[in-house]
Amino acid sequence: MPRNRSVEDKLRAEYFELLADIRLAVLETETRVRSHLLGVSLNLKQYERLLVTSRVKECNSAVDALRRRQPFGIFDEDRPDDYSLTQLRDLAGIRVMAFPRQRIDDAHAALLEILSLWTADPVPGVDGASVPLARKYFGTWTPHTRITAEIQIVGLLIGSFWEVEHSAIYKPDPNLRGVVESEKVMQPRNDVLAALQAFELAFEEAVSNRDTRRS
Amino acid sequence: MRYHMTMKRNGREPILQAAGYAYNFDRMAYYNRGARKVFSVEWVRDHTHEEIQQALEAPNDSGDWQIYADPPPSQRVVNEFLAEIDA
Repeated sequence: MPRNRSVEDKLRAEYFELLADIRLAVLETETRVRSHLLGVSLNLKQYERLLVTSRVKECNSAVDALRRRQPFGIFDEDRPDDYSLTQLRDLAGIRVMAFPRQRIDDAHAALLEILSLWTADPVPGVDGASVPLARKYFGTWTPHTRITAEIQIVGLLIGSFWEVEHSAIYKPDPNLRGVVESEKVMQPRNDVLAALQAFELAFEEAVSNRDTRRS
Repeated sequence: MRYHMTMKRNGREPILQAAGYAYNFDRMAYYNRGARKVFSVEWVRDHTHEEIQQALEAPNDSGDWQIYADPPPSQRVVNEFLAEIDA
């Protein structure tokens, strides 16, 4: 490897060396997850949903994620060997989305067996709320693999909102930085998350009350 | 970015803003050219309001930039960062 290659160039080259393994990790993780969720999937009521999505982290996203973990978001070009994309926990990502809340809990319970050796890293609730927005785990299936995978278990409503939030707010276009973090945007964003959680709760209570009346 | 959003919510950012610190989105750090101090967002996250206040009030008569960051960045990284904000 030429000595004058920048850290980012080195990481991009590493990405393509890892890509086959990342794809394999996604495939294995998704297959294991779907297998353990089969019982939940087969018992869904008509209005209930359980979705499993997966993604291979893209090259630029991976390099940028590692860069953002460095002091001041700067790679030290004098120490290229300090950096490896294998330090990232989400090169392979699986998201389990469910509705209503009970199915999120069911999915989580079904997956606990395979997540017992993984590390929990829940997504905190809005404004320090005690209930996390999502459950998240990272780990590997075999001790010697280089690829760490991540599994998120989240409500379908919030997971769907995240699809928009991820590119618009969390990783915005450089021209939008600062703008989308203003209170004008962040307060309604937090209100949306709170409203989605409130809707899930109200829906669950309404169904529960109906079931109580019937029985 | 999530750290920065947390700073806004937990009241740490207002302390820094009140002391004249600007936030650099690309470098994830608060800085004040007059005071010649830089605080990384991780350092701010990991310290209490009182510790931040003490760091803000600590005298800096050296004329050099004081860097508050955990872990401490290398001199090359510091130089690159300072070159950006001094430009």
